[in-house]
Amino acid sequence: MRETSSTSSTGKAKALAGLKVVELGGGAAGPIAIRHLADHGATVIRIESASRPDFLRVLGLSKTNRSLDRAPMFMMLNCNKMSVALNLSDPRGVALARRLIVEWADVLAENYAPKAMKKWGLDYQSLVELKPDLIMVSTCLMGQTGPNKDYPGFGGQGSAISGFNYLTGWPDREATGQHGTITDSLAPRFVAAAVLAALLRKQKTGEGTYIDVAQVETAAYSLSGWMLEYFANGEVVRRDGNRSRVAAPHGAFRCRGNDRWCTIACHDDDDWRRLARAIGSPGWALDPRFATLEGRKASEDDLEALLASWTGERGAEDVVSTLQSAGVEAGVVETPRDLNADPQLAHRGHFVPVQHAVLGPHTCERLGYALSATPGEIERQGPLLGEHGTYVYRDILRLSEQEVAALHGEGVLG
Amino acid sequence: MQRPLDGFRVLDLSDETGFLCGRMLAELGADVVKVEPPSGDPARFRPPYVGGIADPERAVTWLAYNASKRGVTLDLAAAEGRALFDRLCATADAIVETYDPATLAVLKLDWAMLHAAHPQLVVCSITPFGRTGPYAAFRGSDVTVTAMGGNMALTGDPDRAPLRCTMPSSYYHGGAEAASGLLVALLARGVIGEGQHVDVSLQAAMVSTIMTGASQWAMDRRDRGRTGASYPVGKTLQREVWRCKDGFVSYALRGGPARVPGLQATERWLAEEKIAAPAWQGRDWKAYNHNDLTQDQVDALSAPLQELFLRKPMRELFDESVRRGVMLAPVNDSREIANGAQLRSREFFVEVDDAKRGLRYELPARFAQMSRYGTDVRGAAPLLGEHNAEVYGAIGVSAAEVDELRRAGVI
Repeated sequence: MRETSSTSSTGKAKALAGLKVVELGGGAAGPIAIRHLADHGATVIRIESASRPDFLRVLGLSKTNRSLDRAPMFMMLNCNKMSVALNLSDPRGVALARRLIVEWADVLAENYAPKAMKKWGLDYQSLVELKPDLIMVSTCLMGQTGPNKDYPGFGGQGSAISGFNYLTGWPDREATGQHGTITDSLAPRFVAAAVLAALLRKQKTGEGTYIDVAQVETAAYSLSGWMLEYFANGEVVRRDGNRSRVAAPHGAFRCRGNDRWCTIACHDDDDWRRLARAIGSPGWALDPRFATLEGRKASEDDLEALLASWTGERGAEDVVSTLQSAGVEAGVVETPRDLNADPQLAHRGHFVPVQHAVLGPHTCERLGYALSATPGEIERQGPLLGEHGTYVYRDILRLSEQEVAALHGEGVLG
Repeated sequence: MQRPLDGFRVLDLSDETGFLCGRMLAELGADVVKVEPPSGDPARFRPPYVGGIADPERAVTWLAYNASKRGVTLDLAAAEGRALFDRLCATADAIVETYDPATLAVLKLDWAMLHAAHPQLVVCSITPFGRTGPYAAFRGSDVTVTAMGGNMALTGDPDRAPLRCTMPSSYYHGGAEAASGLLVALLARGVIGEGQHVDVSLQAAMVSTIMTGASQWAMDRRDRGRTGASYPVGKTLQREVWRCKDGFVSYALRGGPARVPGLQATERWLAEEKIAAPAWQGRDWKAYNHNDLTQDQVDALSAPLQELFLRKPMRELFDESVRRGVMLAPVNDSREIANGAQLRSREFFVEVDDAKRGLRYELPARFAQMSRYGTDVRGAAPLLGEHNAEVYGAIGVSAAEVDELRRAGVI
């Protein structure tokens, strides 16, 4: 039995046990979305090929070792999924993919450029004829329609097009954007919500649907407040470092040590009074011009410099514990190293140890929510390319050993 | 048009950190009822305001993220208010809440109590760090959860402080993540027969924005600092955001099968512009691997590109890139996004006729387009207490009782 188990190792039920999903495509945005299904018990099969591998399968690998089964990011993002290798440039490979979708899957998720699925005859219009209750979701950068639908792009461009780059940086310098290709982490949350809503609907009506999610649109939708300020007031709000219009101090402050920082935010005058007391009420903190938000905003440069002179003599952890104990918002600017030692993330079991057959031991990361009764789990390593071929050929597609051998020989499986 | 979540009801007790979750669910079809204190949600009292007029019905954040919801007022601390709330809960499938732990305790709204009284309810908590654990009582708004989620340390210039995004991006990651978690829990009711707690941590949601960076550090122990508009690739820094004639564009020097045509098209473009680019001309792009470059090679590839970009305005660069298949993108501001042909052609923006406020404005809409279902904006954000009579009437509270509750300050 190779289906994803219906209960977790602790005996708890899985929310989506029995759900069957086929995934085509690669990179981050599509596959991350399907983790919401895989982590909660869905059986997810990725259709891949060795001739055109997912670029994440080689991302970051050196010239000398180009194995398709050891790229860390791919394995970390695709745990809990299975992989079957089908050569989609051969019509027989496409036919097998079609059979897997039509005869087995409840959901088809893909994030190719719009023309790819049509080329293979695996677009929704073709598939719905064969499987009327199919739920299919497509997630490309710009969407399936419109003048720029075929524009080839990755998350880096998505962050630029949707505004996130423009909004991150110092007012006197170039836009830097937030680290990470932000649409790649933001869009999957929307894709998952849309698919889950369609599944709830299907439970009631038995009907499927096609879902078109443009990654840049999920990002621009998220920025509705920014967009409305332009639409209603004609105001183009610019990046402003770490400052806020409704809080001061509000930013990151240098602490003792090598590039150590903490955040501090005072959202009202009570916060400010608590902060002043917590740092020992030095003379400058009692300056009446800092007593109101308006005053603090008017003298924000001075305020930040004075506060930095206090934090600069202290460790970031000490600042945070002093301020949080006094009810003032503060946080360590955590590096990747800090995240691995963060007691709160540890409490949530955020990093799950996985023993990978090729990559070795590493961690996979949980989603941003924890469910009390059906927590789900990470039970499978990121799949080796074609690792689950036998299961798919024999148990699902019911191919004979001779057929499999022949197709292998002719390069259809691989 | 029908919507996928028709028939579901969600009570939205969230503040700004959770607004987006309810808006998504409402546009997917749930009847999302925003429950505010009789004095109004705090977001109504924060700028910016439409037209610059400080009026709780014109707060931009309120209008942008509570569209498509209905709205009632209710004093949850008052005994009559709580009784009314329990009657509402009996009609609901899910609750979204964002209370700090002290308020949650005072209002007796914690998961266990709600579950005991209303076993069908899914309770979704969106908090800075999660409902339990050593930081559960820590305060944290966007800037702090972005820092503690690991994004900030890697964002910004090396000679200045780590940076957040000027709009609170963690509320978007967390809100959309919450919507997904809540829907998984609604599906799980079919398996376990009851609701459960969905404990969203904004910090945890932000960890995924650095794309496995934390898990990769645990393997290679390589500390990566802030590198501004460039990305560390191999042993080099490769620029991602470039200055152009009138703004900025995004372009990466990466290779790989999907990017080969774009690199070839860039090479042709540089030649047509007669920009000297020996590092580009005649290169075997199929064999090109950006991971193996030296910094000198990166610089030799970068200089002619920068020359090209400085010659032309952002719009022209993008239109040409679309035509040529070059993977370049404009660093858009809100005006450029509002006027973009692609989004307009997909009817991504919808005009909201907010007649009750005498306003008309556009909003981004339809984060997902569905062949069988509608997902559009369903109307302007509710006025304070706009649907009191309608919502309370539907659970059997008479008009006279509504008036009485209003006089008593409960609604």
